Amino acid sequence: MALMQISEPGQTPEPHQRKLAVGIDLGTTNSLVASVRNGNAGTLADLDGEHLLPSAVYYPETGVTVVGASALAGASTDPRNTLLSVKRFMGRSFADCAAAAGAKMLPYELLDQGQDMVKIRTRAGDISPVQVSAEILKNLALRAEASLGGELTGAVITVPAYFDDAQRQATKDAAKIAGIHVLRLLNEPTAAAVAYGLDQQDEMAIAVFDLGGGTFDISVLQLTKGVFAVLSTGGDSALGGDDFDHAIADWFVAATGLQDLDMFQQRSLLTAARKAKEALSDTDAVELVLGDLSQSLSREQFNALVDPLIDTAIRACKRALRDAKLRSEDIANVVMVGGSTRVPRVRERVAQWFGREPLVDLDPDRVVALGAALQADQLVGNRSGDEMLLLDVIPLSLGIETMGGLTEKVIHRNTTIPVAMAQEFTTFKDGQTAMAIHVVQGERELVEDCRSLARFELQGIPPMVAGAARIKVKFQVDADGLLQVFATEESTGVESHIAVKPAYGLNDTDIADMLKSSWEAAATDKDARALREQQIEAEALLQALSSALLQDGEAMLSETEQQDLLAKMEVLHHEREQGSVASIAKHIEIVGKASELFAERRMDASINQALAGRQVDEL
Amino acid sequence: MCRLSVAAVRVSPSSGTAGWPKLMSVFNPQENYFALLGVPQAYEIEVSALTSSYRALQREAHPDRFANGSERELRLAVQQSSFINEAYETLVSPTRRAAYLLKLAGVNSDMSSTTFQDPEFLMQQMQLREELSELQDAKDPEQALDVFYRDLDGAANSQKSAFSQSYNQQQFDLALAAYAKLQFLEKLRSEAELKESELLDY
Repeated sequence: MALMQISEPGQTPEPHQRKLAVGIDLGTTNSLVASVRNGNAGTLADLDGEHLLPSAVYYPETGVTVVGASALAGASTDPRNTLLSVKRFMGRSFADCAAAAGAKMLPYELLDQGQDMVKIRTRAGDISPVQVSAEILKNLALRAEASLGGELTGAVITVPAYFDDAQRQATKDAAKIAGIHVLRLLNEPTAAAVAYGLDQQDEMAIAVFDLGGGTFDISVLQLTKGVFAVLSTGGDSALGGDDFDHAIADWFVAATGLQDLDMFQQRSLLTAARKAKEALSDTDAVELVLGDLSQSLSREQFNALVDPLIDTAIRACKRALRDAKLRSEDIANVVMVGGSTRVPRVRERVAQWFGREPLVDLDPDRVVALGAALQADQLVGNRSGDEMLLLDVIPLSLGIETMGGLTEKVIHRNTTIPVAMAQEFTTFKDGQTAMAIHVVQGERELVEDCRSLARFELQGIPPMVAGAARIKVKFQVDADGLLQVFATEESTGVESHIAVKPAYGLNDTDIADMLKSSWEAAATDKDARALREQQIEAEALLQALSSALLQDGEAMLSETEQQDLLAKMEVLHHEREQGSVASIAKHIEIVGKASELFAERRMDASINQALAGRQVDEL
Repeated sequence: MCRLSVAAVRVSPSSGTAGWPKLMSVFNPQENYFALLGVPQAYEIEVSALTSSYRALQREAHPDRFANGSERELRLAVQQSSFINEAYETLVSPTRRAAYLLKLAGVNSDMSSTTFQDPEFLMQQMQLREELSELQDAKDPEQALDVFYRDLDGAANSQKSAFSQSYNQQQFDLALAAYAKLQFLEKLRSEAELKESELLDY
């Protein structure tokens, strides 16, 4: 590619044997992709220089599926076909979602699939949350391949520590549909701790305080010589920075005596409130203006407004520490994650309660993705000699149903994974030839209080008197926390070869179908791979040109030359999203031609610079 | 216990093991946990030595080392890594370690047939249970809990030394009795933990 010439003088290209691996933070509100370059982890930006990809997918009437910021626009005009926050529905049945969403009305229609994962009705058909997540992952992978200039070897994808087997399986399935090789599913708090290099230390307890836009998670980790264990997790799925905005808005309404706001005013007020909140991180007071009404809000007033919300978070911290059997003074480090931890009052209260300053040096929105990137880099073998080993534990106990609807735990929570455990069971009727095996997850005694993961039947047990058969049920959990179950009748060796997939996961046929339909949707012209390659090439070209223009555009091109080039890039940008293989190729050609002069001037400049450098050296 | 087929795990030297960690070819799922983790087979162990040898093994065997390997390599890694975890968790826990030693000595540690002939221990059990049931009426339940845990630790420690002594003298009957008592004390501890979360959760 011609543009490879536009590389920075003095910078050598990466050795080609280096494998490309990324970390992906697949978030509820925003998602990110990061990689390690020259030993440093960094998040990757899209063409507009944006690092955060809103986790939004829009299914338009015509054309291809839209992901990210442009999809968000659909939320107000076409809410039924704009899917937001689907992470909440991953691996969840309709009943789970209805319970979790509570009174909160969703703008789109959820379809009851019984025991199976919920689906969402759109004009593109009934879509699984897994497919929506796959679209987001695909977008991030494309971005990464374009900016790293090659095919990805694999990715580490982060999941909340409390994600159960079904939610983890759903996340892995989404990656499979997106064509991404998953190196590892990593717990979000573990990733955040890794980003701060805490894995380099010997032994300590760490609290990860994650306050996002709409959710709050607290996790307590124990690090023992390179082994990370999650001791406890807690939080509030309905507490976040959005509540801070609402608190300001409510205060404004009360202070000004405003009444009966319409939808539009409501929205403007919330936007103004959010801006005020952000401004108060740096200033002592702000003026909140709505139409001809205005009110001044001081930082102290703001602090008083949000203190009750922070109290709730601190209470969750207390509970999590008690579950971990630790006291606040046992915590050696507090890691801050999530945009809302930028609020000074939050930092202050956290520091006060834990009795130490929290770690805030890394961007709280990106810290999880950065840690995942470090882990990905190591897993593909780029970080040789580094001795980091992350051992996770399973968040919830796994067991099977026994007589009377009771749970018999086979693997207890907080057991280090991977793990294999077996338990023996027996028949309860004379001549019983089959045994139903019901796999459940949870801490409670009664099966009905646990989550049902899978059911299967061991058949062909030779008829014996009750209690004579010896059925060994083996649970195998891999390093990602995913479970397989095997059953054997010991005396005869009758085996059930069924490797259990959780009820909320997808079977391989489902995945094959989704893969097919995703290809069909993408293959508006020839075949999906060719299109993908062209898209990657277009993205890489645009990306390289954008950064070159940013650096030298002003100095090396006239106003009209710049305008001309930008206009052609704009067309290519559009074609990349909507066009066919042929049209993208054509516009890559056009932009390539148009940028030749620029490339030449940059070459000359870098040669001159190199020559100048040499003369200085030789003098 | 995990039941792994030897044939599926053993890797013949001719199968091109270049680049594989050494452990892959010597891994034996029947292996004695003490031998695997390189500590002497005894009740008294040095936990720090156990832990560092465990970490060294996991560094070679963990599936993360094969994140980019074939499906077969990954499957084998999951199996051997699971086995190492199981071995470590068995040896690091004083109660499970005792049961494992008894098993190696050919003593059936199944509790169902064990009865208690030790009035002193029964007395202690009753006292501890009473202490536990009176917790909620204590003026400071949190402090009362601390005292209870301390008493429990003391009782457990004396059974651990009893086990160690009997085991070393190959008096397995006595060792089995000490193990049974350890299990009782452990059960009491989990009951106390349940009570703790009830007590402190209002």
